[in-house]
Amino acid sequence: MEKEIRLQKIGRRKSLRQRAKESKKWQKITTVVYPLIFGAVLVGLWQGQILHRWFHTDTFTLPLLNKIGEIMRDNMDKILENTGATVSVAVIGLVIGSLLGYLVAVLAALFPKIGMGGPAVLGAFASVPVVAIAPVLNNWTKDLSDEASIRSMISKIIVVTLICAADMGLNAYRGLTEIKPFSEDLMAIYAAPKRTTLWKLRLPNSLPYVFTALKVSVPASIMTAIVSEYFAEYITGVGRQIRENIVLAQYATAWAYIATACLIGIAAYVILMAFQSILLRRYS
Amino acid sequence: MKKRMRKIASVLVMATMAMRLLAGCGKEAEATSTTVPEAAEATEEMAESEAPAELSSEDVIKAAADAGKVGNWGLGNEYEILALLAKYELPTDYLSQDFTMDGFDDDSITLASAMTYNELGLVKNDYDGGYGYGDSVKYVDMNDEGVAMMEDNIFCTKTFAKENPETVAAFLYASLKGWEYAKDHPEEAAEICYEYGSSVSPEHQAYMATEVAKLVSTDTKGEAATEIGYMDDEAMQQTLDIAKKYVKLDDSGANDTFQSMSLDDIRDKSFYEAAKASEGTFDVEKKSVAIQLKWLPQAQFMGYYVALDKGYYTEAGFENVDIVSGGGDIAETTAVNNGTVDFGVTWETNLACADASGMDLVEIAQIYQRSGLVLVYKPENFGN
Repeated sequence: MEKEIRLQKIGRRKSLRQRAKESKKWQKITTVVYPLIFGAVLVGLWQGQILHRWFHTDTFTLPLLNKIGEIMRDNMDKILENTGATVSVAVIGLVIGSLLGYLVAVLAALFPKIGMGGPAVLGAFASVPVVAIAPVLNNWTKDLSDEASIRSMISKIIVVTLICAADMGLNAYRGLTEIKPFSEDLMAIYAAPKRTTLWKLRLPNSLPYVFTALKVSVPASIMTAIVSEYFAEYITGVGRQIRENIVLAQYATAWAYIATACLIGIAAYVILMAFQSILLRRYS
Repeated sequence: MKKRMRKIASVLVMATMAMRLLAGCGKEAEATSTTVPEAAEATEEMAESEAPAELSSEDVIKAAADAGKVGNWGLGNEYEILALLAKYELPTDYLSQDFTMDGFDDDSITLASAMTYNELGLVKNDYDGGYGYGDSVKYVDMNDEGVAMMEDNIFCTKTFAKENPETVAAFLYASLKGWEYAKDHPEEAAEICYEYGSSVSPEHQAYMATEVAKLVSTDTKGEAATEIGYMDDEAMQQTLDIAKKYVKLDDSGANDTFQSMSLDDIRDKSFYEAAKASEGTFDVEKKSVAIQLKWLPQAQFMGYYVALDKGYYTEAGFENVDIVSGGGDIAETTAVNNGTVDFGVTWETNLACADASGMDLVEIAQIYQRSGLVLVYKPENFGN
């Protein structure tokens, strides 16, 4: 009698776990729950100063979260102003850069003989480090405007543009050219002109690749905007605030801006994901 | 054959495209640069109509601030400029100057920050790296304007000072001896600095050494300062008062601490007095120490290099003294506070800000007795 009960118990436990593993609902829940648990543990370790013990640091260089939150709340206006400066540079650069990159990719796909070099040139630009190109562009754009705020913004936008254009150009080119052979043959059989092949086959085929590019270039545009602020003539932006405050040993304030930079990145990624799920619905 | 022709054609097209790209940049710059003199003329006219003859510093500062062309490096070097702008009730915005004087050279910054011993020399002199303006440039001196703030000092953490009083006194004794010698023999000091891994040319090093010697031996009022490293209460209090007025820390807790700070919170005279009273023998607790400089190795820090080269540190009882160069984004306050190095060179305001936000730093000697910061300008940009 006893034996039977025990067996039953074991059996039931196993099946529960098994069932959980197989249920799609559970899987969906875990994709949300596990990161949340990870986040909660991290917050606990941070606020409980256990992280500080592990990394042999103090609450001065790694301020507690409530302190960072306090500073963010106290300086909301200033933070929003700097966020605006950074985001506008990142977004404008991202849009111009992505359009430019896509255009180059289309040209390269349409006229492979002439245009092949386009993505390669863009790739070469992208491999120039931001810290090298930002000060150079800062000097080149000095004559563009009498207003330091405007010429600084232009120089930062150009840096972001170059980085994003390369990303988009290389990825979109793959999307425009790596087409399933049968579909290309089919278009040939229909005697479709180049333009039609482009509109009906190549452009739709490149859409997932565009999002692959954006997944990289959206965070990269923010990062590039932040780094190029270091060298800009006009003092503004989240990146510049991080630098100023660290040099002045104002770590808590610097962390408030680091947190701001993270939030900008996360927000941008969420927006991108929302766009993707709408636009790519028919692909999945 | 046809294929090859097309290949060649495509290469040619690519090449011309690249050429046009490069040439386009140059052309654009040329085209737009022609507008700059006009703009300069316009400001000249404006300035002329306001003040016909010799311009006072006040006029220059106001004209430059109105045009938004006052420059500074920021990163803790800007407080005297903020104080100066506020003194004339001007908006305290300034342009971010990079670590060259190119912005001053091309007139994008008409009133540019310069240290007397470094950038001012580069602007005036025509040796390697200089701009060769000679005496045609003029400058506004922070000491004359009454907004002088105390710059290069020696500091360490309060804990270190408490635990190693003899080490601190010995380090001060030897360093001050080095500074004393360097002040009297700037040319030799410049050569020593150059040997120890200089960031600048020997000629500029020599210029720098003579100018630094003046800062070490003259106070803010232009009178001779007798004792090297002396912490003058009046000058330090003026620095702190100005700082409290113009430094705004975003961390409200730190800002409150900063506002209630007194000189006794940031400086300790006992080690300086102990070093002065000593015969030169110390019972050093820590025989190997390091000092973090605020900037690249140059005659700005000649006292430490001389002390090292002449063996003053060894005489005082040290086995090894490391002089760690700074530069760019090195935060000397952080390096000292977290124990990477034992001593550091910084400016009083930076130290006070760091302490306000929770660091444990204390100034033990004030090497520069007057401000070395000036705002340099070309008189022709202001109408004479």
